[in-house]
Amino acid sequence: MGKKFLWALILLVAIVIAGGVYYFKQGPASAKVYINGIDANFPPFAYVDKDGVPDGFDVKSVDWIAKEMGFTVKHQPMDWDGIIPSLVAKKIDMVASGMSITDKRKEQVNFTIPYWKIAQVIVAPADCTQSVDELLSNGNKIGVQRGTTEAKWMKDNLIAKGKDFSLVEYDSAPLAIEDILNGRIVGAAMDDAPAKDAMRKKPVKIIGTFGMASEDFGYAVRKEDTELLKMMNEGLQKLMASPYWEELKEKYKP
Amino acid sequence: MTESLIVLYGALPYLLRGSLVTIAVVVGAMMIGVIVGISLAVGQVYGDRWLHRLIAVYVWFFRGVPLLVLLFLFYFGLFSLLQINLSAFTVSVIVLGMISSAYQSQIFRGAIMSLPEGQMKAARALGMSDGKAVLLIILPQALRLSIPGWSNEYSIVLKDSAVAYALGVMEMMARAHFVASRTYEHLPLYFAAGFMFMILTYLGTKGLRILEEKVRIPGYSS
Repeated sequence: MGKKFLWALILLVAIVIAGGVYYFKQGPASAKVYINGIDANFPPFAYVDKDGVPDGFDVKSVDWIAKEMGFTVKHQPMDWDGIIPSLVAKKIDMVASGMSITDKRKEQVNFTIPYWKIAQVIVAPADCTQSVDELLSNGNKIGVQRGTTEAKWMKDNLIAKGKDFSLVEYDSAPLAIEDILNGRIVGAAMDDAPAKDAMRKKPVKIIGTFGMASEDFGYAVRKEDTELLKMMNEGLQKLMASPYWEELKEKYKP
Repeated sequence: MTESLIVLYGALPYLLRGSLVTIAVVVGAMMIGVIVGISLAVGQVYGDRWLHRLIAVYVWFFRGVPLLVLLFLFYFGLFSLLQINLSAFTVSVIVLGMISSAYQSQIFRGAIMSLPEGQMKAARALGMSDGKAVLLIILPQALRLSIPGWSNEYSIVLKDSAVAYALGVMEMMARAHFVASRTYEHLPLYFAAGFMFMILTYLGTKGLRILEEKVRIPGYSS
């Protein structure tokens, strides 16, 4: 069998692949449009509406800031687990999606000024009569979203210190709610805003906080994007001083 | 129950648009898979020792590493190493295509090897070059024989495409999850997404079945 023919074939395939790679070699970084990565499984801060358009408190906030500061923004729904790597790898330019400001995250990205204070709460079925302490004992199973600050905090501060319950990690807070309704877990830990959202839609209720200090939400940007950080900070300050901020709070009830 | 149906009805157009994304990913991946897969198969059967080894490593790699790992490797790794910034969609098509090519190459290889050895010799005796013999004699027969195995590969790639959600590709599963998060109706939505995958599987395998009948050489199939 002629080797020439085979090597030519391989060369052809390599050229096609290389060509394809080169052709598509344009990311959000090269465009003038800023991409905001959102966890669309995080109502009411970020979700997709009935027509598939990104919506939510954070989405509308950034839209307002973009208009005010004169840039274009596109909201890109993605998986929460990979959202910081995506930001660092320039797949997206910012994360405005209910992200808590933590020291650990600050090592990798920069945060804007805080715009929302959030408490972590335990959610249980509406007919639950137990207290938070009772729920977090007796070897109970408690749901939590994977990769969140509350998941880490509970492991470090409750389970590691001998509290007798175990964590079941979910892809999103709504999935944990689903399993509460199924009865597979007795309760779930999450931010109070999505908890309130769930309460409005399903027979669950907030039992109370579990000792974790409240956190601040901020928008995350890449370390080197100081210009964008400045712009977002300025935009946030303007937004929070405007009447639209109250409208947003009224509409999304975070 | 009625509430679930209302949610489902409202979400249907959104999910159906997601099925187009799914189809685009699958068609793109299968096309890469066929082109690369056939090349690999021919190389593995007729190539020299080194080419043979090279292909074996390629097949081993893409069959051996989990899909999710490959997706992350190409999406994040390629960027941090080579500054190649591909979109999530492109990465999903390329990775699924390369994995599929590894599997497809073995389908095609099996088909080529199942042909009687005399076919190649006869073609050479008629004065055909190696390339011509493969292109005009071997592949037309081998590809026909490959269709049943190939329909297997189609349904696997179709379902694997749902993993592209991890990179943020807005295919069917991702959309079902988003709607479920907003409405807290997880089960009906996943059920609907599963049903749509089944329909796509049916349509694809049915199409390949028809193709198989169409290209069959009467009196030749064994």
